[in-house]
Amino acid sequence: MELIKLLVIDAWFAWIPAVGFAMVFNVPKKMLIYCAIGGASAHSFRYLLMHFGIPIEWATLAASSSMGFLGLYWSRKRLIPRPVFTVASVIPMIPGSFAFTTVIGIVELNSGGYNMALAQVVVENGLRTLFILGALSFGLALPSILIYRGRPIV
Amino acid sequence: MSLGHEAQNELTRIAVKAGQILHQHGAESRLVEQTTQRIGMALGAQSIELSVSSDAIVITSLFKGNCVTTTRRCYDRGINMYMVCEVQRICVMLEKQLLDADQVKERLARLVPFKYNRWLVVLMIGFSCASFSHFFGGDTPVYITTFFASAGAMILRQELAHRHHNPFVNFALAAFLATSIASIGVINQFGEDPKIAMAASVLLLVPGFPLINAVSDMLKGHISTGIARWVFATLLTISVSIGIVGSMAITGVWGWIA
Repeated sequence: MELIKLLVIDAWFAWIPAVGFAMVFNVPKKMLIYCAIGGASAHSFRYLLMHFGIPIEWATLAASSSMGFLGLYWSRKRLIPRPVFTVASVIPMIPGSFAFTTVIGIVELNSGGYNMALAQVVVENGLRTLFILGALSFGLALPSILIYRGRPIV
Repeated sequence: MSLGHEAQNELTRIAVKAGQILHQHGAESRLVEQTTQRIGMALGAQSIELSVSSDAIVITSLFKGNCVTTTRRCYDRGINMYMVCEVQRICVMLEKQLLDADQVKERLARLVPFKYNRWLVVLMIGFSCASFSHFFGGDTPVYITTFFASAGAMILRQELAHRHHNPFVNFALAAFLATSIASIGVINQFGEDPKIAMAASVLLLVPGFPLINAVSDMLKGHISTGIARWVFATLLTISVSIGIVGSMAITGVWGWIA
């Protein structure tokens, strides 16, 4: 019961950035609802997986590939290219904070001189950024890599 | 089916226009390539060869041994999924023979980018970054600080983009503003852990679309465009970080690392 409540709260806070960034990308009005559903379900699915102790990279891969297949269904149904829904939906999962921490760490390494603790921050955050981002895009691309293989989806 | 030289020229121009619109508004390379080829083939060409690079497309249409080649520069006009949807719809209608060449040309020329009301976008982006602060474990005062910091940064970002400033300058200044506003919260101790606001308020400047496009381009074989997009996104990230560090150096509030 407690878990369901946490999931609902997570989904509620995930649809807002999905729609907000969809509006920055000028997604047509009728498609915003898909971005909201996609963002909420993908992020809460990742939350659920991480709750059971799955590492963030694998949880992200699972969530984004499920989003990829959901986007495939919607895209066939509405005859709209897939990135229109899928990219906005995974925006809440983008590792922005890790990326900025990495680069700020690099700037600090230059200005304050090399030290082990800072180098550790840079390497750990940088690797995490790369792997989460790779998982995210790979998951989204999965339907066209595995099923369509070069044929157009819409 | 016969196609005169003039008709083949016309076909090539229509196809390249569609490809140019897609490329300028942030479609991934595979989509640009496929849609342009489908439009050209539907208009009667035997084959369409397309080379997509990071800022231009080169297209050759083939009909009975006759080649027509043309190039278009594609200046970045900002991500606009509405335009991508519309070009895709025209392509599908053309393939179902609901449109002929003249109608396609006219419709492509008539497309105007759709934009949301900018204040609505500012409001939604404010709430978006505030939601990120919730994910980082912030409480209500932090939520409010983040909202104002990111909404302010979004207004600045829109103003600078409207005046065609360089995106790197734009992102650095917006990050500077967001971090400065959020550090007011840290100085006055709003909430349990006000430093969360500093981390969450700059997340509107993450180049998410270019990064995802970069990786999916590379996965689908367009290595060079993928690398170009990746480098662009990395440079944006670096300029955001410079803006953050500049603000922290001036205010003395060290919200990141340390």
